[in-house]
Amino acid sequence: MHVLVVEDEAGLAAELMHFLKQEHYKCDWACNGEDASERIAVNRYDFILLDLGLPDYDGLDLLQEARETDYEPAVIILTARGELEDRVKGLGLGADDYLAKPFSLLELQARMQAVSRRKFNVKSSVHAFHGFELDSTARTVSYNDQNISLTKKEFDLLHYMLLHKNRIMTRLQLTEHIWGNILEDDYDSNYIDVHIKNLRKKLSAHAPTDWIETVRGVGYRLTL
Amino acid sequence: MRLQSKLTLFSAVSKIVVVLLLIAVLPPLIHRVALVNTDKRLNEKKDSVLEIISNQGIGNFVAEGSEGAYGSYNLLKEEFISIEQIPEPIVVDTVENSLRKVENEIVEYRVLSLTFEVEGNYYLLEIGRSIDTIQESIETMQQYALYFLAAVILITVFIDLAFNKILLQPLIVIVRRLKKIGHPSTFTPKTINTTTSDFLYLNNAINDMMGQVQDAFQKEKEFIGNVSHELLTPISILQNRMENLLTDPEMPEHLLVKLVDNQKTLHRLKNIIQALLLISRIENEQYLKNEEVSVAALVNEVKDEIADRAEAKEVTLKVDLEDDWTLQNANYSLLFTMLFNVVSNAIKYNKPNGSITISGAPKGKGYELCVTDTGVGIPQEHLPHIFNRFKRLQGPDNESHGLGLPIVQTVAHFHRIKLTVDSTVDVGTTFCFKFGKL
Repeated sequence: MHVLVVEDEAGLAAELMHFLKQEHYKCDWACNGEDASERIAVNRYDFILLDLGLPDYDGLDLLQEARETDYEPAVIILTARGELEDRVKGLGLGADDYLAKPFSLLELQARMQAVSRRKFNVKSSVHAFHGFELDSTARTVSYNDQNISLTKKEFDLLHYMLLHKNRIMTRLQLTEHIWGNILEDDYDSNYIDVHIKNLRKKLSAHAPTDWIETVRGVGYRLTL
Repeated sequence: MRLQSKLTLFSAVSKIVVVLLLIAVLPPLIHRVALVNTDKRLNEKKDSVLEIISNQGIGNFVAEGSEGAYGSYNLLKEEFISIEQIPEPIVVDTVENSLRKVENEIVEYRVLSLTFEVEGNYYLLEIGRSIDTIQESIETMQQYALYFLAAVILITVFIDLAFNKILLQPLIVIVRRLKKIGHPSTFTPKTINTTTSDFLYLNNAINDMMGQVQDAFQKEKEFIGNVSHELLTPISILQNRMENLLTDPEMPEHLLVKLVDNQKTLHRLKNIIQALLLISRIENEQYLKNEEVSVAALVNEVKDEIADRAEAKEVTLKVDLEDDWTLQNANYSLLFTMLFNVVSNAIKYNKPNGSITISGAPKGKGYELCVTDTGVGIPQEHLPHIFNRFKRLQGPDNESHGLGLPIVQTVAHFHRIKLTVDSTVDVGTTFCFKFGKL
């Protein structure tokens, strides 16, 4: 996947690129609107990660330009401008998703995968692991064709961890994915522990679940 | 009371006072006028009689050999003239009221008496006019005067009303325009069609003032935008940097734990900024209220979203709604955050095996939704401050940033929802939202 990161903050762009390259994406960086406009015209990107607040350009104009190319890149807007009207306008102009800053890189990757599946018709929505199968489209988990009943949040948690398998995931990252950006007083990591406990219980009824690894004081990791 | 009604009322009352004053003063005045007129007429008649006597001689009136008297009454005894010879030359020239007996009837007259001398004889001339006749004309005059005054009052009150209405029209336009302002940003300055300088001044003053308020709101909006960008961008960088460090396989375990601690601190900082921004944005009217929200649907969605947390804390979550209520012109996601925060607090500060009841029922002309928990409760001395974003109260967990409830209150204000809270330590807390018509 070829990704264009349009971001005027060098520090943020560097972290984004570092992460995406690790995930085997091919990345370009445009630090301003003019540069981005040129790159969009010349290259063929699968993804454009677009910051709306550019010094020389309105990000929404850039989105319009991306939409007018003969190939249709998937556009995810990344912005500190969280106003509803911006979001409505951005999505209305054809952006595929919208992430308000600050966002988690893992969340971004999950969104990119979801957009790819939708936009580029990726059929492989079934993940197989240790005899289990997770179908992200049908939202089912099974073992030897035997369906395992999970709650919505347990499914989301397992799916998210599968997406980021072999990576340590902190309770905070998991919490943010499950509850999104609901602004409440604080987060309670115990809820994640309870969900993991339930997941282990439900899955271990079929097969051992030692591949769900607890990283002490940090979080969890799926070793697959 | 409206200014126009007050002015009209004042004008009507002042006129009535003037009329009452006139009614009190009018009878003696008219009486006086009637007497003066009568006296004048009697004197004119006296002059005519004296002229006739000087032309024709007294003999026509006082026959020789008679007792030297002449008297004449008109048919209804309203007037009389009498000439009588008198022996003594007493000089009399008066006009006064006196009683006279006419054909066995006593009648009060206004009588002009005059003595005069003709050919060495003295005569007394008396011309009288019945007092009843004078009284009648006094009453007639009074009656007409009253009719006239009543007509004048009615006409002037209506004229005043119409004039006030025309005069105050610009003020009514200004008031109507002010009433329409929901938020300063919706105000558009307009000129007003009037020649009254006070109204022109008032209109210009309001236009200028609203302009300043709009500027202030605009600046605040820009400030919020800038803060969002300036603060959230470095937080974004830090968050992403930490996430990248967490993926580094070389990272020793003890550093990973420190990184997680940093991540938590950053998360708290992010939440505080976002909470403050959310409150400012709501207060700055940057959220749309264009949705219809069913309270039952809202409650059920919050319940579905939070049920697993209640379960994890072994807290029972009950919903007991009587009927439903639809909020017009609302913002669903804000209302969701509002209710979510209250229920989330109810879970967090509950006791093991405790319960939470979300109950709702029509109350008065609205609907009341209450969230009752069996938790640790809030001490009475803290209750007045729980919604104060500037006063941080120590929660039982020492973790919260203290902005959850200010968000709840801001969202409630934004939707004109009345929010009340009642709590007893060790017994529980009840938050009630009273929804009315918006």
